[in-house]
Amino acid sequence: MTALLPSGQMGGRLIGEDLRVAIDDVEAHEGLIARFQPLRMAAMLSPLIIAAAVALASWFSALILLATLIPFGAGMALAGLAGKAEADRQFLALSRLSGLFVDRVAALPAILAFGAEDRVTRQIGGAARDVAARTMQILKIAFVSSAMMEFFAALSVALVAVYCGFSLLGLLPFPAPEDLSLGEAFFALALAPEFYLGMRRLAAAYHDKQQGQAAERSVAAALEQAHRTTPPATAPLPDRIGELSTQGLMIRYDDGNSIGPITASWRGPGLHVVTGPTGVGKSSLLHALIGLAPVSGGQIIHDGTPVAAEELLALTGWAGQRPLLLPGTLADNLQLGNKSLAPQELARLTEASGLSALIAARGEDLTIDPRGSGLSGGERRRIGLVRAIGSERPVLLLDEPTADLDPETAAKVIALLQDTARSRLVIAATHDPALIACATSRMVMA
Amino acid sequence: MIERLLRDATRRQRRSTVIAISLAMVAAVAGVALLALSGWFLTGAAIAGASGIASVRAFNYLLPSAGIRGLAIARTLSRYSERLYSHRAALFALADLRPTLFAKLAGTDPSRALAQSSGDMAARLGSDVDALEDSVVRKVTVPGALAGAGAGLIASSLAGLPAALALLAGLAAMRLSSRVLAPRLLTKPRQDHAAALNRLKADYTSYAACSGEIAVYNLGTQVIAALEPHARALDAARSAVVRGEAVIQGAQLVLAGLTVASVLALADGGAALVALAALAAAAAAENWSVLARTDMERLRVQDAIIRLESIATLPAREIDAALSTNGGSIALTIEGQSYVVPPGGRLLIGGPSGSGKSRLLGTLIGLRSDAPEGLAVDGQGVRTLGLAGLRPLFAYAAQDAGLIAGTVADNLRLARQGISEPEMWAALETACLAETVRNLPEGLTQWLGDNGARLSGGQRKRLVLARALLAGKPWLVLDEPSEGLDPETEHALYQRLSAWLDRTETGLVLVSHRSGLHALARQVVTLVPVSA
Repeated sequence: MTALLPSGQMGGRLIGEDLRVAIDDVEAHEGLIARFQPLRMAAMLSPLIIAAAVALASWFSALILLATLIPFGAGMALAGLAGKAEADRQFLALSRLSGLFVDRVAALPAILAFGAEDRVTRQIGGAARDVAARTMQILKIAFVSSAMMEFFAALSVALVAVYCGFSLLGLLPFPAPEDLSLGEAFFALALAPEFYLGMRRLAAAYHDKQQGQAAERSVAAALEQAHRTTPPATAPLPDRIGELSTQGLMIRYDDGNSIGPITASWRGPGLHVVTGPTGVGKSSLLHALIGLAPVSGGQIIHDGTPVAAEELLALTGWAGQRPLLLPGTLADNLQLGNKSLAPQELARLTEASGLSALIAARGEDLTIDPRGSGLSGGERRRIGLVRAIGSERPVLLLDEPTADLDPETAAKVIALLQDTARSRLVIAATHDPALIACATSRMVMA
Repeated sequence: MIERLLRDATRRQRRSTVIAISLAMVAAVAGVALLALSGWFLTGAAIAGASGIASVRAFNYLLPSAGIRGLAIARTLSRYSERLYSHRAALFALADLRPTLFAKLAGTDPSRALAQSSGDMAARLGSDVDALEDSVVRKVTVPGALAGAGAGLIASSLAGLPAALALLAGLAAMRLSSRVLAPRLLTKPRQDHAAALNRLKADYTSYAACSGEIAVYNLGTQVIAALEPHARALDAARSAVVRGEAVIQGAQLVLAGLTVASVLALADGGAALVALAALAAAAAAENWSVLARTDMERLRVQDAIIRLESIATLPAREIDAALSTNGGSIALTIEGQSYVVPPGGRLLIGGPSGSGKSRLLGTLIGLRSDAPEGLAVDGQGVRTLGLAGLRPLFAYAAQDAGLIAGTVADNLRLARQGISEPEMWAALETACLAETVRNLPEGLTQWLGDNGARLSGGQRKRLVLARALLAGKPWLVLDEPSEGLDPETEHALYQRLSAWLDRTETGLVLVSHRSGLHALARQVVTLVPVSA
């Protein structure tokens, strides 16, 4: 069960990474840690323990059991090699064919639109039979190793039984190595099937091992990537920021979509807006400024010096499209960016952003859940905004601060932003003409 | 229904199944006989050895010792071949079931089918079919266990009826315990586990969307603390499942032990027969306990069957042969106002995101039917024409690519049958993708991975566009074809597409928020979002 406990921690470190890695792969780990590894230990120890126990009754029987390990080991190694070679030979074809059914179901709209369902159905049938035939090729060899195990398990029982029987009859073709009683002989015979049991169970857990190791690899890769992008020690916080600019900044995502080059300059204090159609990369630009988008070229420049985006983290207050809501009270959530925010300042910000109505109606101790149930989109946005301004950091990056707001509240928020921008550098991505109209500068992305 | 499909599919593998079942029975009987004979031989030998040289001479040791070795080999061989044949039966039966299920899904009303085909559902469907495969492999365990039990009963009856009855009662108790315990101990923890997993995923997803705030305010530890209760609930549920399985298997072991002990106590007819009966009972009980695993898996298989049943029972699409058009004009009615696009016309549908542009296109081509606008082709409503009537008219390039895992050529060939290579290159040229494909290591036969993973977003869109060009339908329906393109490529695309439309006299229905392709249109309709 310890296998599952890290899921929470990894979830935190991998935020922004693939959900599948953080949760499903950690789950898949369970088989490897909880089943395969203990079984492997058992498979190594149990034959020795059984042999030792048998030796107490009949050391020669124990010797017989141990002796069968030699041809068994050699046979298993050969079968294992042959099995792996066959599995490797079929791997590419199998991985392509076996996903075909799921893939074609997912691509059903396109298949239906072109009327290709009969052809695709035939293709799925052919591929499924091909997978079955290829899998049988692999199984034929894979089962040899389990047959070998069965054979040696049965053989060790048979040898012990025959030896004990002949020994009891006094008919051994060689001088009797020991004097056996029926009780001892029976004890040896009863334990003989257990000799190979650990290894047989280990072989059955082979699937757990494969899945677990694949999961382990992807989690390790994700963790390594997360470490690479871990911010360095935070730079000392200057009181104010003069100018933030980008020079030929390029963002390139793994799926090949790229944004940029972006060259822009924002002088603080002031209220600057970034506009452009949906999907043009406004949010990506804001994320790139704090090191959360994959920058493939260009520079971020702070007061004339090129800086790593991570260095800006500690200078920046952030309000995104969907603010983070942690379980707790509304007041806790408003102060996530700055725990030492003065109460009167918090009161001023809630009043100015229009959130005071929510507090008046439901209290500062209103309990919040992560999905923000019971809060409107506009309320959630303003929680993020108050948090960002309340962080008292010199740079504020805001993504659509006035979206989801009615014109009256939007006007309040714009006034608050103008007021804030008198002492700080505010950069907002927006479509809102009212906000654009108040801006010190406007940058259009296309 | 799914049970019937599965039965039909397994019936075609009857030969393998029958062989597998016979071999499973042989293996079980050989296993029981091996231990029984060993016990009898050992005890008989001891008695003979103890009673002097004459008894030793009289004791026939050759036959039993040869029998023991023979049974060891028989058990191994039959077990090996049983596995091969049971897997052959299952793999080929399910190989027949997959296309049958796909045909059901593809043959029903598209709005029903498409509810099942998002990535998650498709993966679910795949794992459900795999669960069935496992259950077919497991089928042979029942006759195997029964044969082993029969052999055990016959062997123990040699030591008297009471011993046989004790074994019978013990085996019955083992079945009863796992049949009763499995649903009680496992159903709820498994549901809890699924629920906890879903909650954890949902919260993880909502936190992951806030990576900006987590990074700037350094809230990682707090997020971990917030996820902790769900992770704990997940662990607790998983532990409960494992505990339940351990209790079920433990109960089997205890009952097997009690069974052997009572056989030992009740058997008579001499020490050799008592040993034979006790060891036969032990082997039969061990075989028998395999059935408990089937009980535990049954719950999972039942869930899979319920979900697959909903696909197997999908009604076939109704096709009305009388309804056909030859792709005349499209009439579009929005809030009482009508627009008519003549054959070969070019329409741009504009409007902000969320105003239902993609929904309108999906309804026009018959993949869905939920657009509020009135749509008719040649005077016949699209909902009457249905997918069968509409798809001969429209070649559709969707917004969310919709590529299949396969080669470039596989994807292009989806458009229609008998597409030649020169045709493919011509279409790729028009879609401004020929250069890219030429530069792929294997060109047209390059494997692209799931949903074209090897290509960029913009390249995927152009491949989908090339596919639509190849379909040779009277109308081209494009949803954001130039998304993710740089302005130069977009302009080249505009010119080539414009020339292609002129040459082929194909009509166009275009959705694009980027202005680069707007000049293709001769008519514009703007949708307005439904005000909240």
